[in-house]
Amino acid sequence: MAFIGLLTLVLIALPHGLSYSQREILVVLTINILVVSSYRLLTLTGEWSLGHVVMMGVGAYASALYSKEWGVPVPISMIIGALTAGLVAWGLSFPLFRMKGFYFLIGSFAAGEIIRLLWKRFRDPFGGPKGIKRIDPFPDIDLGFIRIDFFDPVNYYYFTLIIVVLCLVILWRIEKSLIGLTFHAVHWQDKLAESAGVNVRDYRTLALVISSTFAGLAGTLLAHYIGTVNPNGFDIEQMVFVLTWAIVGGTTTLYGPIIGCITLTALNEIVLRELGLEQGRPLIYGLILIVSVLFMPKGLEDVVKRGVAWAQLQIVKERTNGV
Amino acid sequence: MKNFSSQTKREFLKRMAATVSAGMVVGLPKMSLAAGETIKIGFLAPLTGPVAAWGKPGLDGCQIWAERINAAGGISINGESHPVEFIGYDNEYDPAKARAGASKLVIEDGVKFVMMLGGDPWPGAQPVADRTGMLFSTLLPSDLGPDTTTLIAPAEVHPIYNVTGVQWLAENHPELKSAVICAQDDALGIPSVATYLAAFEASGIANEDPILFDAATTDFAPIVSRMISLNTDIICLDTCYTEFVHPLVEQLFQQGYEGTIISCTADFYQQMIEKTSAEFMEGFVFQFPDFDDPALEQDFINFDDPAGFFSEYNSRHPGEWGAVSWEYASIMDLWKWAAEKANSVEPGDVLASMLESGQGEHAFGTADWWGKDLFGIDHALVGNWPVVVIKGGKARIQDYKWIPGWYDEFGDILKKYFTQYNLMWDQR
Repeated sequence: MAFIGLLTLVLIALPHGLSYSQREILVVLTINILVVSSYRLLTLTGEWSLGHVVMMGVGAYASALYSKEWGVPVPISMIIGALTAGLVAWGLSFPLFRMKGFYFLIGSFAAGEIIRLLWKRFRDPFGGPKGIKRIDPFPDIDLGFIRIDFFDPVNYYYFTLIIVVLCLVILWRIEKSLIGLTFHAVHWQDKLAESAGVNVRDYRTLALVISSTFAGLAGTLLAHYIGTVNPNGFDIEQMVFVLTWAIVGGTTTLYGPIIGCITLTALNEIVLRELGLEQGRPLIYGLILIVSVLFMPKGLEDVVKRGVAWAQLQIVKERTNGV
Repeated sequence: MKNFSSQTKREFLKRMAATVSAGMVVGLPKMSLAAGETIKIGFLAPLTGPVAAWGKPGLDGCQIWAERINAAGGISINGESHPVEFIGYDNEYDPAKARAGASKLVIEDGVKFVMMLGGDPWPGAQPVADRTGMLFSTLLPSDLGPDTTTLIAPAEVHPIYNVTGVQWLAENHPELKSAVICAQDDALGIPSVATYLAAFEASGIANEDPILFDAATTDFAPIVSRMISLNTDIICLDTCYTEFVHPLVEQLFQQGYEGTIISCTADFYQQMIEKTSAEFMEGFVFQFPDFDDPALEQDFINFDDPAGFFSEYNSRHPGEWGAVSWEYASIMDLWKWAAEKANSVEPGDVLASMLESGQGEHAFGTADWWGKDLFGIDHALVGNWPVVVIKGGKARIQDYKWIPGWYDEFGDILKKYFTQYNLMWDQR
């Protein structure tokens, strides 16, 4: 409880200790935490997708179009945009879940590329390679005595933080529920689960739809902040970043990918830039990745686990000595 | 009580102004420069990644420009000299990073002008420009629109100048009657396709349907085979990224193509010659000169000592001279001229000074502020543009062509293709 209280204080105070541009990065980082956490939900079933970032794009494009073309209020278009991503994922699940493992991985990549190509080919309504610009921002809130301008990264960070925390709680509850346990069963003992009456395909579909809906929501958060979406923003390079955060952080815990995302983003966007290593960042980033995979194969979450175990041991020792 | 020097007080006020604007972001306060105070200029472009070839060489060129200007006494504002310094931010051609970078440069670093490559990252930076009134420049005028009142395209009106290469080809090689264009299907490739289609049509050269490929393409052999099979007199490489132009040219060489090649750029063309042959590359037409070209030593050229600049650039960055190596520096020439004329470095004053007479000092001669027809705003500086041809293994300017003149005659054709590709400002 004390830890949650402390974490809440840190998260509230965090933007005030950062520069303006670092606050901008913080907003994107918070959104990326939702992307990587939702991705982990799918990995619980044992399937790794290469189309997750495209699902984020589906949410972003959908919300942008609903608000820009049909005049749907932004908060509602964001919700419908996220649901659209889930719906598209459901449609894709029919061909994709005829495959497993490596074939699913390649199939998800192909499906994602098809969607990206559709965005590029159909200039109307998707804007072609240039994408959609001038997307309506999240509307300001004017309560008379206070006006919240969501162009300000601090305000948008708090808004995003609330959404992301809510989503993480939902993801955590799903994982700890019977559905989550079934996801694990589908991953580790799919034949056994099937023999026990579990419809493996339905559960994989459910995981894909839920993870895509949350990825879509992340896309809507980004689209209405940056004000533009284009197909290149959701390409395989971005997907590799998500994979990297998940792998470096570890995927056995909810916090593993989050730690990976925070550590690597802070390293890439803040530390290396502040050190003046602007142009050498890709090289150094790559080296750090190789070193971390070599020396921390279980991910950063393992370091946290060991740290917690060590701390607990020290407490037990102290108590034992006291007795 | 601590005694603040005037410099310290000024710094304090500036920090306060930055803090206030960071919280509100509703326009930057005007701050007069202290004597000898450094003028900071932002450079917000891709310095890493696939588009870095159109960012990093520009920053390298700007560093040389700054050293030359500073050695000559700096920028003179109200009779006082100020050194100039560039602050770079790698936007990785990503709008989210462009937004963070624009915020950093404008609000934290206090730059007076921000240069961008433009394209995908511009929409990310645009809200920062709108809110702060900061003057930005782009190399891609397709970023311009009636609402981009603080954005200018003062060096390269891409892709309109591509018409000059086609015009020169038609005048000097009237036997060329057909062409096929290939391009990556993206924000850089498509406007260029529309322009080349218009230029070929205006010159009486028949167009085959353009061959568009995805920006993730790595195997160019099938694309080249398809183009060669069409048996056209000209193969046009459009505005392909440098990393596409090289393999395309290699494939054309390996598959025995013998016709004429025209391209917007031929960055690092010496490497292409090494991979093919000087004979194969003979007659390759493109748009970006080496700056040791004797044709740049003419009175109407507004770039100071181009040969010296080229030599210095090559000694520091051997083999890295490219299309943008001089462009950002030439934008700075224009900015310096306007700032000194206005006796101010404030974005609004400099912009007003630039636009005042309707003409500006472009690197290739005095040019017109132009573009309302295509872009919805007269913020593109258009005039002469050189046609460059590789001869004997060296790129040499063959001629200068006046772009507004071409547009007066064939503008309707260009608008037809711009409309076809949804590129007109009111279609975007």
